[in-house]
Amino acid sequence: MTSVIAQAIVNGLLIGGIYTLVSIGVTLIFGVVKIVNFAQGEFVMIGMYISYWLATQLGVDPLLSLAISMPGLFVIGVLLQHFLIRRVLGLGDLPQIFLTFALSLLLINIALLLFTADYRTIHTSYTDAAIQIGPIYIGVARLIAFVVAMLLSTALEVFLHATDLGKAMRAASQNPEVAMLMGINPDRVFAAAAGISLALAGAAGSLLMPFYSVYPSVGQVFALMAFVAVVLGTLGSVRGALIAGLMMGVAESLGIQFVGSDSGLIVVFAVLLITLAIKPNGLFGGWAR
Amino acid sequence: MSSSGRVFSKGDCSRRAFFKIAGGAVTTGAFAASAIGSRAEPAAINIGALYPTTGNFAQFGQDCVNAAKLAVQMVNGRGGIKSLGGAKLNLVLSDVQSDTTVTRTETERLINRYSLSAIHGCYASALTLIASEVAERHKVPLLTGSSTDQLNRGGRKYTFTPFSRASQFAKAQLQMAKLVGSEPKVAVVFENTAFGTSTSSGLREQAPGEGVEVVMFEPYSSGFADAGPLVNKIKASGANMLFAVSYLNDLILIVRTMKQVGLRIPLNGGSGGSVHPDFYKNTGADAEGLLGVAHWNHDIDTYAKEVSAEYQKQYGKFIFEYAGGLVAQTFLIAEALEQAASPDPQKVRDALAAIDATKGNAAMCPGGRVKFNETGRNIYAHPVGVQWQKGDLVSVFPKEEAKAPIVKS
Repeated sequence: MTSVIAQAIVNGLLIGGIYTLVSIGVTLIFGVVKIVNFAQGEFVMIGMYISYWLATQLGVDPLLSLAISMPGLFVIGVLLQHFLIRRVLGLGDLPQIFLTFALSLLLINIALLLFTADYRTIHTSYTDAAIQIGPIYIGVARLIAFVVAMLLSTALEVFLHATDLGKAMRAASQNPEVAMLMGINPDRVFAAAAGISLALAGAAGSLLMPFYSVYPSVGQVFALMAFVAVVLGTLGSVRGALIAGLMMGVAESLGIQFVGSDSGLIVVFAVLLITLAIKPNGLFGGWAR
Repeated sequence: MSSSGRVFSKGDCSRRAFFKIAGGAVTTGAFAASAIGSRAEPAAINIGALYPTTGNFAQFGQDCVNAAKLAVQMVNGRGGIKSLGGAKLNLVLSDVQSDTTVTRTETERLINRYSLSAIHGCYASALTLIASEVAERHKVPLLTGSSTDQLNRGGRKYTFTPFSRASQFAKAQLQMAKLVGSEPKVAVVFENTAFGTSTSSGLREQAPGEGVEVVMFEPYSSGFADAGPLVNKIKASGANMLFAVSYLNDLILIVRTMKQVGLRIPLNGGSGGSVHPDFYKNTGADAEGLLGVAHWNHDIDTYAKEVSAEYQKQYGKFIFEYAGGLVAQTFLIAEALEQAASPDPQKVRDALAAIDATKGNAAMCPGGRVKFNETGRNIYAHPVGVQWQKGDLVSVFPKEEAKAPIVKS
């Protein structure tokens, strides 16, 4: 029994790493730019397709393709912020919701048009490999994804606290007007935040590719959990999203193990509601406010 | 902060509602007039084809649409409906988006807008049940390969199922279990949809009678991010065989995860994902020896082989069971039109009810004969057990009709 529980927790932590990457992207762009990006899952999808095509056409290992998917999506994020999001800031909530939501639909349908609805997978040398520690099995591809996800999250935390641009981001998120008075250019800071946010989605995509299939609506699988984690971990808090992403993974896995395989989400939402009842702003009152 | 929280949850709600509306609008625009085929003298006969080409079942739906086009080409290429002066079939396609609400409105729309002589659809049982209700109300005959037994209940008069029912699938699957393992202790996992629930409850009900022990019976929500927790549970159950009732993506993840954790037990994937060529494409050698149960297979007879070869030529893969079955359905519709000598849906329905197809593409189904009873069920239909052997899906059960012996893995 202990080994079953241990395996369930390990499984949950590993997939939680992916939830974490997606939710940190959502929370960062929300914290800084104050926009809820409903299309975050679709950028994961784009990251997956980038890795898929690089692997099948050029034989690039999906992990190496991080070096392309992350900068690629960073640029898309900057352009997105500059040409689209910037125009709807300050217009109220509805135009922003419609913008990112329309973007989500658009991207899914473009992918459907270009790549059809086919499920596509790639097989790497480590796809089926697993490390066995006693009775516990740890999939190598998932372990790599988890470790890289944690490294990227930590790097982001360090960046936000130790660099000028990171500090400027936090400043702009706490009070844009005062930040502007202090000589911070919000456009530049917002563009960087959007870029980093999408780069993280791209990273999640590349890390998923060795063990998950890509198809046009694949982002929805991860977006739901990411949004739950963002709310649970306090909107705008990177550390909160990190912890909450992992918690959601474990809650889902234990829920499947002990409540029922169709009840993973029930446990996830129960954890969310109980937490919100006790702490209405989520687990952390992070730096967003 | 609290106001932002509110905005977030409101956004999530409107996201779903908006998705439906926007999705509907987009598809209606794109598919409104996508009638395939040529108008010739005499007037073409409209056949409705409702398949999900977007959403969860998109990949299967696409193959169904390809097959529907191929079938109409074949009928028209052979001179159309002779009793109607060589009238051609005209395929009216609609995307039902893997969504029950859309299925309802699209079935209504197609029937109201085009004078349809017959309909076939919708791949997923959950969708077909809805389309069948609408077709019954409008008195338009509907043929389907969907397997839920519910389609033969409730006094339906216009719904015809030429292939085996979910309850028959279960029996075949249990009998196959005894051929690959001496004392089968089976874990049954199934997605919590109409298809999964009906197939698995048949398995559970009939297992004792067939001498198969069910040690785990577990619904799961389809579209999971990770099969690890489910496989962990299967492993803990002590099962020596797995029945998974799943569509494609979940099954790929289950198979891969089982390999990772060293769980090597025979797997029967039923119909759903395991009998689709893309399953092998995505799992490769891991699929070898995996079993399935289908209502049709591309090697059952020379007509099926011919259809599959043509499909292979056009689309680069063999024709999967559901798509192959709907080619037979198109020929059954053509046969009924031939007998009715009228495109009137009521007369086509009556001709279908009286049909007794024993040869050609219309009888291209396991059992080799199509004759419907009063519930619309083909009394000769039985399922075919299949197994992945060297990259091909081979018919291995029942023994009398097997194309190759079953391989114990």
